[in-house]
Amino acid sequence: MSTDRQRNPLNDFMIKVENLSHSVDLGTDKLSILQQVNLDIRKGESAAIVGRSGSGKTTLLGLLAGLDIPSSGTVSMNGHLISALSEDERASLRSQRVGFVFQSFQLLPALTAIENVMLPIELAGLSDAKSKAEALLQRVGLGDRMQHTPRQLSGGEQQRVAIARAFAVEPQVLFADEPTGNLDTRTGEAITELLMTLNREQGTTLVMVTHDQQLAERCQRHFVIEAGVLHEKTDNTTEVLSA
Amino acid sequence: MNVTAKVVSFTQDLRERNVKVMLMAMIIAVATVATINAFADHLQRTLMTSANAFLAADRQLNSRTNAPIPEAWYAEAEKRGLKVGRMVEFGTMVSNESQFQLVAVKAVDNAYPLRGEIEWQADLDSTRQIGSKGPGPGEVWLNPRLMRLLNLRPGDALEVGSTSLEVTGVIMREPDGGFRLSNLAPRVMMHVDDVAATEVIQPGSRVRHRGLFAGDEATLHDFEIWLEPQLADNYRWVDVRQGETLGESLDKAEGFLLLGGSLAVLLAVVAIAVASRQYALSQRDRVALLKTMGLTGSRIRRLYLSRLIWWGAIATLLGLMLAIPAAWFLASMTARLMEQPLHFEVDFWQLWPAVLTALVALFAFAYPPIDRLRNTPAMRVFRSLPTNNKAALFKDLLLASVVIFALLWIYVSDIVLVMALLGAVMALVISLAIAGGGLIWGLRRLPAGKGSWRLAVIALYLHRNATLSQMSVFAMTIMLAATLVLVRSSLLADWQAQLPEDAPNHFLLNIAPESVDQVEAFFTDNELNRSPLYPIIRGRLTEINGQPAEEVALNKDDDELRRELNLTISDSYPEDNQIVDGQWFATGDTSGLSIEQSLAESLGVKIGDELGFTVGAEKVTAAITSIRSVQWDSMRPNFFIIFPPNGAIDGLPSTSLTSFYLAEQDKTLLNDFVRQFPTISVLEIDHIIERIQQIIRQVTQAVEAILVMILLAAIAVMVAVVSATMSERQREGALLRTLGSQQRLLVRATIIEFALIGFLAGILGVLTAEIAVWALQYRMFEGEFHWHWPVVISLPFASACILALLGRWQLTPVLTVSPMLLLRKLE
Repeated sequence: MSTDRQRNPLNDFMIKVENLSHSVDLGTDKLSILQQVNLDIRKGESAAIVGRSGSGKTTLLGLLAGLDIPSSGTVSMNGHLISALSEDERASLRSQRVGFVFQSFQLLPALTAIENVMLPIELAGLSDAKSKAEALLQRVGLGDRMQHTPRQLSGGEQQRVAIARAFAVEPQVLFADEPTGNLDTRTGEAITELLMTLNREQGTTLVMVTHDQQLAERCQRHFVIEAGVLHEKTDNTTEVLSA
Repeated sequence: MNVTAKVVSFTQDLRERNVKVMLMAMIIAVATVATINAFADHLQRTLMTSANAFLAADRQLNSRTNAPIPEAWYAEAEKRGLKVGRMVEFGTMVSNESQFQLVAVKAVDNAYPLRGEIEWQADLDSTRQIGSKGPGPGEVWLNPRLMRLLNLRPGDALEVGSTSLEVTGVIMREPDGGFRLSNLAPRVMMHVDDVAATEVIQPGSRVRHRGLFAGDEATLHDFEIWLEPQLADNYRWVDVRQGETLGESLDKAEGFLLLGGSLAVLLAVVAIAVASRQYALSQRDRVALLKTMGLTGSRIRRLYLSRLIWWGAIATLLGLMLAIPAAWFLASMTARLMEQPLHFEVDFWQLWPAVLTALVALFAFAYPPIDRLRNTPAMRVFRSLPTNNKAALFKDLLLASVVIFALLWIYVSDIVLVMALLGAVMALVISLAIAGGGLIWGLRRLPAGKGSWRLAVIALYLHRNATLSQMSVFAMTIMLAATLVLVRSSLLADWQAQLPEDAPNHFLLNIAPESVDQVEAFFTDNELNRSPLYPIIRGRLTEINGQPAEEVALNKDDDELRRELNLTISDSYPEDNQIVDGQWFATGDTSGLSIEQSLAESLGVKIGDELGFTVGAEKVTAAITSIRSVQWDSMRPNFFIIFPPNGAIDGLPSTSLTSFYLAEQDKTLLNDFVRQFPTISVLEIDHIIERIQQIIRQVTQAVEAILVMILLAAIAVMVAVVSATMSERQREGALLRTLGSQQRLLVRATIIEFALIGFLAGILGVLTAEIAVWALQYRMFEGEFHWHWPVVISLPFASACILALLGRWQLTPVLTVSPMLLLRKLE
């Protein structure tokens, strides 16, 4: 039955979370990180999850992206019940549909800018890696820095490479973890602009974790997470999404 | 361009410090094992070749009865390309004019000796010559004492049985002289073709035929396989190892080398395991990132496995390329020391243990932590997660122990040695667990002190896991290196002490009671020292528990049943003997006897059995009260049977035996002695002693060379472990400097921290090394254990110093680069 539902073509949710709870084992104790989270994000929507340090927002992002599976509840991505997939199946899914942008950029120091962008294209088994990567780096304004290694780039430039890499496989959904967290305000704004523009152009669903209110407000949906409980903020009200 | 391949590519790997360390460790491992292998192989071959001279051949086929060796066997050996020689030994009377003398004849053919050389002189006063041939047909060579006893000159005729032979030389030394106190009669060497003409050999006479064989090992081995089924009980196939004296020395030599080799292997795999673990740790972030990009576990495994195979291949190749010149260098040093020409060749098939080591190092030690990388949680891209690796670590340890055990087994095939080493490792693990717990407990309670001490103690406590694992590796390294140092210094020293430069190298036998005073005077006049006089009573073993010995003995053909044995009387226990069963005579005991172990086994007798001897016309019996093992290579007077004072053989007619040291340049004194005491036999064993001392020197040199390499490997392990924590320490150092710490404080704290780790590891290492040495010495080399205080005390300090220096060295970048730059670099 559940198989029918997850393959339903009418389902236009990119991300659907039902009754998700997550806790970590601390030996004798269990630390509850997320409690009864329910969440729907439609295709092409941008959503921001805001919360303090330690509120559970990064854990939620990881679960939405299928990097881990929840202790209980389900996560679906584009109709696939990813919380029921094996790690390798989730990995294959990620290689086709998911892009990431991290706070600390996570570029491979040994690879040049263009190689960093080519990497996910090759891993996904797509053709024309080089030309695609070149086009993307041009697009993020690093056409003249393609052969530079991350160490030769500033923080803002590194994040541009990371964004180019995230869009390289034309993902259906992009997960961003504090994308401006390591950058100064001005660079952060430029990066935000770039991210939003690319997102719009490619029609990608964007899920972003941040504690930057300004950045969050540029997203269509705005969630707040507090002590593991998720609320959605709509204009002046906050809807509790955790039961 | 394939970017994926570049993510974990070989050239990329080479930029990783951990990979460099792992490759270096692997190269050291392969090179050390290969060098030891190539060199040990070379040493074995040279030792064996030089030792084979003691048989005058590579193998001897001895007949234990007077049956000759079938000609068909010689023919077969020759057909296979072996060199053969025929030798007959018998005792007879020879005469010149009216003087008669009982002699021991050795009749040899033109091929004798196949190995080694004969030293002879044209006359008593001529210079010594070295020859590769014995006397020709019609000729006879005599030993100097016989020349004088019979008043012979070269050219004179000697009557041997029914024939007369011309004296053409004085035999000074034969290669297969042996060391038998029972060889009392002076030597006569003649040609085997003349034996028939002597008509001395009659049915029933005591004759020993010996066949000599030489050639390459493989052919000899094949011939032995062909011969074996045809050998009746009365034939014995002998290689030099079965010789009483040199066999033991060669076994000991081999033991030392194998020990060195196995310690090198242990050290090498420790280094590789450490480096691989560090490499895996450093790769976790990369793997997590690749996983977010959709790389599956199996692809990650393939990616890293292919790298590992590359490293293994390259390290093996480089290791072998380093090993060959290293082994050649060692061989040439040995050749120079021994003043022998260098014949160095490498049999590449002999190097398989090095290749096996590389494979084992790779798959049993480097691979497990790297393989676990595929389990890295993808969530790690967001934050570093604690990983619970205890179960995996336990599995690794178990695998490592099994593999080490198997590897040592393959190398050494000696259960005692393997168990001793593994036992010591176990003892180390247990003491580490205890000491580690104690250390953590102690550090938490230690009055923190001031400045650098405080910083050092805090660092030790904060990094307690790293502290403990570093300490374990250092302690293990120190244990292995110290074991070899101690074994080398104590076992070699013990061995050398058995045969000091002035060890008695001549024996005097048949000293009649009335000559004792005159002999004593001769020694005093010539300022020579002799050992105590042992009374010798010649007797045949005739009865076991009242039955005829030749009928009830387990080995009825034992030579000792066919000849007279030297029985002696002694109340003091021979210091190099070991009681294996029963009790040595208590003070005042007059009953019982002590028998040598191999003779007891051959006769099939045990404690309480009664042995009967015929001494002249007398019959004596006594029960066995103790069984001794005898170290025949000690070259001291050793006896099969010892009676207590006032025991069964007391009062029977006896002669005396003594031994003394005579330097090469004083050998002419022997001529005076022989002239003055023509009835006393002189047994020259200086050449045997010299040869054993040569083996000891060669082995000492080899073990020392191996030791240097092992110490290098040990330092490599330490560098690997210290550099493993380098980035963290540099980060901390940079932070502390940013926070305003003075360089001096930082330097002192690091030095103190490492010195403390080194000191504690030194104590644990040296104590467990003593356990290993105790086990080895007690079980393997039959030595006596004593504490090595100078090493026990100095080693912890030495290891503290070495580690303090290593700690200081790894801090250099922190002190020379601005903290700002360093922090950015370490981001």
